[in-house]
Amino acid sequence: MNGHVKSMSFQQFMESATTLLSLLLIMAVDSTKTVAASRNQQCGNALLQTLKLTRLVRKESTDLIKTYKLYQGEMSDLFCEGSVNNIPDPSISGLDPSEKIVSIYTNLQMFIPHFKRVYEQQTDLQLPTSPLLTELTNVSLRSRNLALLIKTFYQSLFPNLPVPEPAGGPTTLPLPQNVFQQKVYGCVVLKTYKKFLLDVSKVLNNIKGTVCRRRIQMNALFF
Amino acid sequence: MVSSRVLQLLACLASLLSAGAEDDSHLVIAPQSPVLEIGTNFTATCMIINTAEITADDLYWNLSKTTVSKEQYIKINKTALNVTIPITSEKPEWLFCLCKRVSPKVVLNNGRFIHGILLVKGYHPEKPENLSCVAVQNGTYISPSIRCEWEVVGRQTTEVPTTYTLIVRQVLSGETHYTSTPAKTAQVPLNVFPSFMLLDIWVEAHNKLGTIESEHLKKDANYFVKTNPPSDVTVISEKSFPTSLLINWAHPIASEYLRLMYQIRFCRLGSHIWNYVPLEDTSEYIQSFRLQNLRPDTVYVTQVRCKNSLKNHGFWSNWSNNATERTQEDRPRSKPDLWKIVTEDGIKFICKDPELSNGRITRFDIMIQNPKDKIKNGSSEWERIMVNRSEADSSSSHRKITLLKKIPLADKTSVKVYVTAINSVGKSDEALLVIPANANEFAPVEELMVWPHEGQLLLEWKPPTSTAVSEYVVEWVSGGQIDWQRERGSTRRTVIKGNLERFVCYNVSVYPIYSGRIGNPAHAEVFLEEGAPVRGPTVKLNGNPGRNEAKLTWEEIPQHSRRGFITNYTIFYTSGAEIHAITVPANTTSYTLTSLSANTKYDTWIKASTIRGSANGFNHSFTTLKYAPGEIEGIVVGVSLGFLFVVLMTMLICFYKKDLIKKNFWPQIPNPGESTIGNWSPDYPLKAETPKENCLSGISVLDMDICDGKCVIEEDKASLPLKKDKYLSEEHSSGIGGSSCMSSPRQSVSDSDEGGDMADTTSSTIQYSSVVASSGYKGQTPNSHPQQSIFSRSESTQPLLDSEENADMVVQDGSRQFQHFSRQPCCTHNAGNKDTTNCDDFSQLAVEQQEIPQSLDFCPLEEDNEQITPTDELSADWLPTVPVSSYMPQLGGYRPQ
Repeated sequence: MNGHVKSMSFQQFMESATTLLSLLLIMAVDSTKTVAASRNQQCGNALLQTLKLTRLVRKESTDLIKTYKLYQGEMSDLFCEGSVNNIPDPSISGLDPSEKIVSIYTNLQMFIPHFKRVYEQQTDLQLPTSPLLTELTNVSLRSRNLALLIKTFYQSLFPNLPVPEPAGGPTTLPLPQNVFQQKVYGCVVLKTYKKFLLDVSKVLNNIKGTVCRRRIQMNALFF
Repeated sequence: MVSSRVLQLLACLASLLSAGAEDDSHLVIAPQSPVLEIGTNFTATCMIINTAEITADDLYWNLSKTTVSKEQYIKINKTALNVTIPITSEKPEWLFCLCKRVSPKVVLNNGRFIHGILLVKGYHPEKPENLSCVAVQNGTYISPSIRCEWEVVGRQTTEVPTTYTLIVRQVLSGETHYTSTPAKTAQVPLNVFPSFMLLDIWVEAHNKLGTIESEHLKKDANYFVKTNPPSDVTVISEKSFPTSLLINWAHPIASEYLRLMYQIRFCRLGSHIWNYVPLEDTSEYIQSFRLQNLRPDTVYVTQVRCKNSLKNHGFWSNWSNNATERTQEDRPRSKPDLWKIVTEDGIKFICKDPELSNGRITRFDIMIQNPKDKIKNGSSEWERIMVNRSEADSSSSHRKITLLKKIPLADKTSVKVYVTAINSVGKSDEALLVIPANANEFAPVEELMVWPHEGQLLLEWKPPTSTAVSEYVVEWVSGGQIDWQRERGSTRRTVIKGNLERFVCYNVSVYPIYSGRIGNPAHAEVFLEEGAPVRGPTVKLNGNPGRNEAKLTWEEIPQHSRRGFITNYTIFYTSGAEIHAITVPANTTSYTLTSLSANTKYDTWIKASTIRGSANGFNHSFTTLKYAPGEIEGIVVGVSLGFLFVVLMTMLICFYKKDLIKKNFWPQIPNPGESTIGNWSPDYPLKAETPKENCLSGISVLDMDICDGKCVIEEDKASLPLKKDKYLSEEHSSGIGGSSCMSSPRQSVSDSDEGGDMADTTSSTIQYSSVVASSGYKGQTPNSHPQQSIFSRSESTQPLLDSEENADMVVQDGSRQFQHFSRQPCCTHNAGNKDTTNCDDFSQLAVEQQEIPQSLDFCPLEEDNEQITPTDELSADWLPTVPVSSYMPQLGGYRPQ
């Protein structure tokens, strides 16, 4: 009888312990889910902001090209058909997201001196009040902001990886050019930049679909 | 903390020492030019330098012109003295360190033993609150300037102003932009609006006393964006959707900058109550929206606005411009509102357009069914009544009333009226109104109450208990204007929805409708708002005013001038300074003023009062009568009656006492013809003389000289009335020896006691003249002289001259004597003689009597005979001549005067 009573007491104790442990486990899982969701949200937000700004810069680049053509006078379409050397490659290199993001960041940094040179050249060719100059400034400044967002996004995704600075020293700018060459140069830079931004959008969208989702899966597996 | 204070002092001292050496001042205060916070204590140190002439004990402090109490001093050492003062006021003050005049050197170099500092005061800046920033759209971009505003907290002084610096920092780049202002708003220009970048915005408040930051706004840049309103807002009305409008608009800014959400509101034209489309329906990035469940043929005004689609991000833009469009027409979806007006000669059927007319009503079709006619004709026909509604009528919320038809009022006949309304699309359902043969068979509502409340008229009633009511019609009439509204059968309380005016009396009726049959109404009068009457009633007199009363009447003030229910009238009337007031009920239109003063002008007016005030009417003046009506007539009648009474009484007395009167006034004179004395003169004919002979025309005035011999008779004659005048006044007896007829009664009075007097009188009587009648009393003349004479005499107790001096008296007496003559002519001595006297002669005699007061006085001989007694020698002397005369002397007619 006594043995039976002891057995019953032990069984009750085990049931209580099991219940308590289950509760603790549920709480732990729930808290990790909250953290994972928060991180995922952070990833999504940063990427979303980057994507939005990319779209904005791309839109402004498109408008800028139109304005550029408008303010270059006759044969403006012809200027954009030419080719110029030492223009940053619009394609994004790298295989994994981190490399692509680094490539995006590096290219953005490389385009900025070209915008500056185009601005200087157009300052000589346009009136000071020309909208072209304003738009050039805007695109240039937004590109800097975009670079900052890319960098921040990269750091949020890969906090332990260093942010690579542009390799190969400073950006090579074209030598002194005549007006025709300047106009061709400016248009090619803008067109190349627009194409680059298109690729950036694609890459970021891919990253949005892979990295941020994979982080959620990784969080789920880990916890 | 303390060490830093000491260091500051030392540094200050070092700098001051060098400065003091230059100025050659022996006193220096530290710190120099302090900025002090109000509400704190300030400690200053005064140091003695380059002299041993004075010590710290000789120093004292002045704050402006007031010496600081020594209790606030702290002596540091022999050459330094501290003072601690509270900083209370905002006004800058000078703090001086001074030295007492302890030595001639100090006195002579007073300027070197003084030093002062200016205390500049202020408040420590406080943290700005409620910082908010906005970046507005500029063209197709978002403006690169961010404008912020905040609330300034705390106080500041002019000497210590607070400056606010607005700082905008781009978090990722660390790029900072700022601007400073003393105001509470500022704008920070950026190179480009940093869309999708994190911004940190805050305000620093700083002044000489410190710096403090506001709360930081660390938000995405688009959080601050306020775009332009949506552009090109258009509304499309589609024929196939009469209850719908399609709204289109353009995004104010490219979606790459900002993804927007929208909000739509709309209202009927003229209405100021907006209907908002739920945000859930327009939160998407849309450019069109379809409004549904609108009223057909109604003009709607639509507006759209937008903001950042992210929750709690951005500011709502302003509302777009109005986009106005009318929905398409639809057939009337409700019945026309049919009603009636009962007049003296018939019933008018009126109606309002259907509430859901859904278009412009072009005509009404009406059919009136009379059971009798129906029996006769078999069926009734629809009658078309064309109407011409303007666009304003159809869009107006006030439905126009149309007179449809008027029919004569037939007794005990039930009438059914059907009406439909038609517009360009179709026709409405039929409205039915039944005029019952006997409206009294349908009970009215009970306990109807109407009262104004917050600019509206509220109604409450209890339903009739008898039968079920399908609906109620609330009708209100004012000044011939009628309007009505329908309420459901379950309604017990409602509000009149028409346009009511203040100060207008409305006659409100509630008709129960029993399946189209109109029941008996209940009525009530009410004002939406009462006011003071426009004017008071005009008062006037009803008839003429009396002596002490006046009846006033007035008419009720016209309904439109009352502006409220008249609670009472106050009648004012005044005759001078004092104003009397009488308050009478509102249903009074006349009043009689009483207790008025006679022959007084009164001003009166009437004040009409409502619960909100009163107004006076015009003045009316009247004057009360001096005498009451009939008062004069009464007096006249009374006097006349009294006079008549007196006359009648006199006549009665005369009638009943005629013998006595006759005896007294006209004593019986014995007929000499019948006298026995006649016998003693047989020679004298008894026959009476002819009237001609009796006429006094034969009277002649005799000279005294001629008639000396006959004066005795006159003397005797005078003595007779003198005796009789015992009760007569002297005037009556003056100068005339009772010869008048009036003196006859005196002659009738016999008083033997007067004998003595008479003797005295006669003894003193002086005869002036005698009158001889040529033919008087001939029958009595004993002698038979063919020429009979009547002697008359004038006697007076006065000398003739005196008599002339009293001419008035003489005339008076003379007139009396004339009167006597008129009554009883000289012929009266012969009563039975019918012959009349020659009046001309008699008048002449009367004139002569003026001069000869002694009239013919034919006294009764029967009385006088016995009295004829000679009283003096003169009389005696005369006596022998007496028999010649037929005249009997009169006795005692004069008293000595």
